[in-house]
Amino acid sequence: MSVKVDPQAIRSVQVITPRLQKLKAEWEAAEPQVYVDDTLLFTESWKETEGLPVDIRWAKALEKRLMECPLLLRDGELLAGSLTKFIRGNGTLCAMKPREILKMCERGKFDRKTSDTDSTNITPEDMAALKADAEYWIEHMPPVSTVNKAYEYDMGTDVFDLLFDHAMVFEGRGVREIMDRGLFQNYSAYGGGVAQVSAKCIDHGLEYVIDLCKKEKERMMLEGDTEHCHGSAQFLRKYWLLEACIISCQAFIDYAKRWADLAREQAAACSDETRKAELIRIAEACEQCPGKPPRTFFEAVQCVRLYHLVCWKESSDRPEVPIGRLDQLLYPYFKKDYAEGRIDLQDAAELLGALWLKIREVENLVTIPREQRAAPGSLLPNITLCGVNEKGEELTNELSWLILEAMAQVKLSEPAIYVRVSDQTPDEFLLHAIDCNVRFGGGNPAFLNDKEGTQRYLDRGVPLVDACDWNASGCLGYHLSSMEHLGGGHNINQTKVFELALFDGFDPRIKKQIGPHTGDPRNFKCIEDVMEAYYTQLRYFCPILMRIKTLGLATEITDGPMSGLRCAMQYEDCIPNGLTPKEGGARYPEGWTSWFGSRGLVDVADSLSALKKLVFEDEKVTMDEMMAAINANWEGYEDLRQACLNAPKYGNDDEYVDSLYDAVNKKVVEIMQDRIDPITGKKPMLFIGAAAGHTTIGRSIGALPSGRLAYTPTDDAACSAMPGMDVSGPTCTINSATNAPYAKEYCGYAMNMKFSKSLLNSDEKKQKLAQLIRTFIKRDGWHIQFNIHSAEELQDALEHPQEHKNLLVRVGGYSAYFIDLPRELQAEIVHRTMHENI
Amino acid sequence: MDNTLDYTQITGTVFNIQRYSIDDGPGVRTTVFVKGCPLRCLWCSNPESQSYKPQWSYRYTSCKKCGKCIAVCPAEALSMGPDGLIHDAEKCTLCGKCVKKCLYEALSISGKVMTAQEAYNVVKRDKDYYDRDGGCTCSGGEILSQPDFVAAVFRLCHENGIHTCADTSGYGSRDALQTIMEHADLFYYDLKHLDNSLHERYTGVKNELILDNLRFLAENKKEIVIRVPLIPGVNASEEHLTLLANTVKEITPESLVNLLPYHEYGKNKYRMIGMEYPMPETPAMTQEEKDAARTFIESFGLRCKVSG
Repeated sequence: MSVKVDPQAIRSVQVITPRLQKLKAEWEAAEPQVYVDDTLLFTESWKETEGLPVDIRWAKALEKRLMECPLLLRDGELLAGSLTKFIRGNGTLCAMKPREILKMCERGKFDRKTSDTDSTNITPEDMAALKADAEYWIEHMPPVSTVNKAYEYDMGTDVFDLLFDHAMVFEGRGVREIMDRGLFQNYSAYGGGVAQVSAKCIDHGLEYVIDLCKKEKERMMLEGDTEHCHGSAQFLRKYWLLEACIISCQAFIDYAKRWADLAREQAAACSDETRKAELIRIAEACEQCPGKPPRTFFEAVQCVRLYHLVCWKESSDRPEVPIGRLDQLLYPYFKKDYAEGRIDLQDAAELLGALWLKIREVENLVTIPREQRAAPGSLLPNITLCGVNEKGEELTNELSWLILEAMAQVKLSEPAIYVRVSDQTPDEFLLHAIDCNVRFGGGNPAFLNDKEGTQRYLDRGVPLVDACDWNASGCLGYHLSSMEHLGGGHNINQTKVFELALFDGFDPRIKKQIGPHTGDPRNFKCIEDVMEAYYTQLRYFCPILMRIKTLGLATEITDGPMSGLRCAMQYEDCIPNGLTPKEGGARYPEGWTSWFGSRGLVDVADSLSALKKLVFEDEKVTMDEMMAAINANWEGYEDLRQACLNAPKYGNDDEYVDSLYDAVNKKVVEIMQDRIDPITGKKPMLFIGAAAGHTTIGRSIGALPSGRLAYTPTDDAACSAMPGMDVSGPTCTINSATNAPYAKEYCGYAMNMKFSKSLLNSDEKKQKLAQLIRTFIKRDGWHIQFNIHSAEELQDALEHPQEHKNLLVRVGGYSAYFIDLPRELQAEIVHRTMHENI
Repeated sequence: MDNTLDYTQITGTVFNIQRYSIDDGPGVRTTVFVKGCPLRCLWCSNPESQSYKPQWSYRYTSCKKCGKCIAVCPAEALSMGPDGLIHDAEKCTLCGKCVKKCLYEALSISGKVMTAQEAYNVVKRDKDYYDRDGGCTCSGGEILSQPDFVAAVFRLCHENGIHTCADTSGYGSRDALQTIMEHADLFYYDLKHLDNSLHERYTGVKNELILDNLRFLAENKKEIVIRVPLIPGVNASEEHLTLLANTVKEITPESLVNLLPYHEYGKNKYRMIGMEYPMPETPAMTQEEKDAARTFIESFGLRCKVSG
């Protein structure tokens, strides 16, 4: 049931008003600062709560930070809620990663998660405090990682050869020296997954949740709770967890009141009546929410702001806080205010713009050394729009339109927007989304298959009413809104496994036999021999990875911090169950976003294609020569490398290689799902998606027959072609990716596409892109996103045309590949696009 | 067409099949470009489509000047010049040995003989994308030079519910036009110049046949879009636009007039196939000029659109 929207009215709003422009400029100009208050408060609280149950300690540590952290409400701000006292502060918690923090202190350089190029400033006093804090934690933590200890105890020290440890430490977990090994990636949330802004909590108010907890505590004491608790340990656990919930929720309410007090204080000192009214509006909102339900659209937006901030503060070290289905969450408030004349589109647009600025402000330090890091990170405050509900109604509304418009006008890297697309998505809305994508440029919004998302939950026995309530989370995942535990995943580096198959299980880089012997590749007689060797390697590694994943997640559950706030966000289930989401308290506790993942299959298919064509069919080269070339990283074999690069490549709707890709995928799914996931008891949820990890894992892989150079990135996302290898146009790439139904088995299966602006410079052409998206969805594709290329890319294309073979430019009456244009016209187009960007 | 023949096996010379072709008709389309054209428009952006025969083609930006192609050429048609390869079309037998030898994809043979079925097999791969309005376009070169092939491709499309669009200069026999017309849903029809002698000067042929054929299509109630390459100094003057508008009004007043402002993006291709660019230096049109041309055409009560 779509709402009638006037596109003209939407597009004529001014999101970035002069006030927001000023705030944005201030933020852009501000020097990043290391922010230490929170970590010091956390440590102080931890010392104060020595001896108390860990749930209470965690809640108290949040309470302390919320009640004592400095507040900053800048002149002209429409929404309260800054993470730090700086315009651009980067927080951290030493307790989570003291050794890395100490290293940064010693280096005198602090890297930010959201940038690869610049560092953060710190005062000498703060530096000294931070260093002392880190040293305290190193002293007070077990010297080894409990997870690694568990691995070692259960599997022996050899297992570390296989690991890629991210060291998200709560109690000293973090073995850096094996970081760049890269066969397995041990990648999971440090303690209990990701918190999400909860629509249900906002709608009911946290006083309601506190009341539930109090009543449940009383009921337990009066009636007992044998339904949920077996034995005294569980009873006590639930009792303390409920108390932790109450502390956390009350601290959040009181934190909001601190903002209210600050706003009232500023209002009292303010002579400008308009500003005074704004400040009073903030104060009233923060007095009302999150304790009570919002009364207006403004209060709802202010409340969302604080939820994002507080969830972030609680998670601190792994701050992926999805905002969820914002258009649905805010719509009732908007509709009421709009109908009663309290707000118009312009007011709503400016508020959304203000919310965007506040969300983007949140930053933190990254503690993975830059050289070991894939790419500037993201804090992933994902927003999901639209979708079909349990009654079959399509839910696009005015706010879905307005949120996209805000994104396009504000032009900040975050938050990322995901649109759930179905056959009911209104044409005009899809066109608007594409138009916003063009204005935004870099791939925002992304488009997800609504039906597929819901269907995957239905397939796992989730009833329709919950199955359709999902939203995007993490970099390529998604989950049910506040009904699941959002765990991390463990990925297998398929490209590396394939490399091992070419080396009889020996890793040429670390010079060690780490896989089974699958035979000297020079004796392979046909492509099937290569594939069989690869499958044998994979069959060997999968159970090991499953064991690592199971021990890792289980150890984190007993090791990691408990969460009152996260239970509160899922109060309907976690409160009666008396367990955190990660322990099984969630409605759907199996946590199937705790995936069993793989990366790099496109590179494998391209390598198989080159081997099949050049070695086994055309006999242009022997396996011996191929191996010599790979061992030499193509040095002295440049011709052979070109021949390998010119072999059929995935992404061109070419059956020669696509059939290999199909065969490999089918077998990989079979091998990886051969055994159940012991924690869920169900077949493992497969994840395929590289996000930025492909550059990191690529560093462990030598040259391959795909023509790839040693230690360079493997394929950039699940079903995109290797960069520059899809040269036959977008429909071919989509066909390659959707010819077989992998999307049903994998989450994350994303398609990255790069388009030139000139291919999208009229509504008619945007309509054609809409058709491309609709066809992708119709062919059961899962996730597609478009990079409308930038001037920088074109400039690079100008300098390195061979690396941009698939860059299409629209030139008058026809489309041409950039590489085919004369230099001067290339230059002209580069200039023209830059002009457009100004 | 004689139905006793297996029309699916009719062959044509094709120089490119472009997928996600979004400038050659409504919706998402696949465009089959046939090779060979009786016209020699000075501004032609697809010079490789002019000759009816396959041609040797050289992408000099990809060439590493390694010289391996020279060594394998049995006809000794290749040599190395200061700016890259020099190709002797007289000696070249199009054997393709140099293309296979090149590791950098700098060489190709432009143009391939294929059956209608083979061409259709590519078209059908993107059937999912065509939806209501997209489909297959045949363009050129000049489709009227290979009418049986084009009609056969269209017929295969129609048998499978795919919309067809014929992109033509209109310069060809009535028989050819009729053959194609039977299976074409839409015509993209070029009008380059309404002055007969100037038409000949710029394109090498006269325009009577073109106008006659347009009348024939209009009489047969075909849906037509008029396409006009808009070139300053050639046909962009108010005087010529008046002539154009009046002609369209007279023959096919319901048609959309689609103006295509001149660009030099085909210039590079001339070098790739060893030709000189025949068009004199021409300034690009400004947005204002494009808008003015559109408004002017519209003032005659016609529908008009400017591309690019």
